[in-house]
Amino acid sequence: MTTSSPGTTTAPVRAATGPRAVRGSLLAAGAAGAGVLLLLVRDPHVLGSYGICPLRLLTGWSCPACGALRATADLAHLDLAAAWSANPLWVALIPVVVVVWGVRLARQWRGLPTGPLPTWLAWSGLALVVVFGVLRNLPVPALAWMAP
Amino acid sequence: MSTPDEPRDPFAPPPSDPAQPPAYGQPTPAYGQPPAYGQQPPAYGQQPAYGQQPAYGEQPPAYGQQPPAYGQQPPAYGQVPAYGQPMPTYGQQPPAYGQVPAGSQMPAYGAGPYPPPPAYGAYGAVYPKNSLAVWSLVLGIASFVFSCLLFTGIPAVILGRQAQKAAAEGLADNRTMATIGIVLGWVAIGLSALGIVIFVIAAAAGAFSSGYSSY
Repeated sequence: MTTSSPGTTTAPVRAATGPRAVRGSLLAAGAAGAGVLLLLVRDPHVLGSYGICPLRLLTGWSCPACGALRATADLAHLDLAAAWSANPLWVALIPVVVVVWGVRLARQWRGLPTGPLPTWLAWSGLALVVVFGVLRNLPVPALAWMAP
Repeated sequence: MSTPDEPRDPFAPPPSDPAQPPAYGQPTPAYGQPPAYGQQPPAYGQQPAYGQQPAYGEQPPAYGQQPPAYGQQPPAYGQVPAYGQPMPTYGQQPPAYGQVPAGSQMPAYGAGPYPPPPAYGAYGAVYPKNSLAVWSLVLGIASFVFSCLLFTGIPAVILGRQAQKAAAEGLADNRTMATIGIVLGWVAIGLSALGIVIFVIAAAAGAFSSGYSSY
C-alpha cells in the first residue's frame, strides 16, 4: 500500500506532491465543469438534444441514470427541486462524489497514497443503483418521486 | 304321582340344576383356578419384568439424553438452538453470517486462498490492487444496468487494463475478473456505438417528431 501509485499514471516508489500530484484530479474536475457548461448551453430538457435513450424508447422504462443530465442542468441553474424530481439518486450522490474527490485531492497533494476505492463500495454502489432502478419503475404512487 | 313326578320332572331339571351348578361349578372352579389368574398376576408381576420398566425408567433418561441432544444440535445448527437459547444463538449467528460473506469475498480476493506472493506480503496487503479488477467488473455490469452504456463501459476497460497490468506485476491475483470487466466494457462500448449510429441515421431521416428526452 505504501507504494501504490496515484491513479492512472506513474508508479514510482515515492508519489509526487504538490501541483503535479493533483493534476489528474484537476483534469477530471475540469472535464466535469466543461460538461456542466455544455448543459447550460444546450438544454437537456429539449427532446433529443442529447440523443434518444433506446431503453426508454423501446420499453418506456427509466434506467437508474435517467434524468441525470436534466438534474445536473437544473443544479447548474440552482433549481434543487427540479433536479431532485429528475433524478434524486444522482442529486444525493453528487455531494458524496465531491467529498471523495476532495479527500483524494488532499492526499495526492501531500503525496499520500490514493489507491482504488474499496471494493465494498463498488458492490454496494452497484446494488444501490440496481435497487433504485427497480423502484423508480414500479407503478406505485409512493415511489413516483423516484421516477424522472 | 304324576304331578310329583311331573313336578319332579320339572324339578328333575333342578336336580339336574345341581348337576349343572357343578357345570357352573366347573366354570367356577375354572374361576377357582384363579391360581391360573394368580399366575397371570405374577405375569403382571413380571410386568415388573416390564418392570424392567426400569428399562422404561432408563428410556426416559434416554429421552432425557435426547433432549440434551436436541439442545446440543441447536447450538450446532446455530439456527435451531435459536428456539432454545434464542438470544445468544441469534447473537452468534449474525456474526457467523457476517463472517461467511466477508470471508468468502474479501479474503478470497485478498490473502485467503492465494498466499503465494510472499514478496509483497511484507507490505501488509498481499494483493493491494485487486480492487482494480473488482471496479472494472462492477462498472462492466453497471454498463448493462444503465441505458447509457458508454460512460461506464470505457472506465471498465481502462480499469480492467490496469488490473491486468497489476496482475502481471504480482500486485493482483484476479486477472480473470479483470478480463470479464474488459469484455463487458467493450460489449457496452460496441452497443453504444451501434446505438449512436442508429440514432444518427434516424435523426437524418427526421424520425424524431415526438419522442422522449434522452437523459
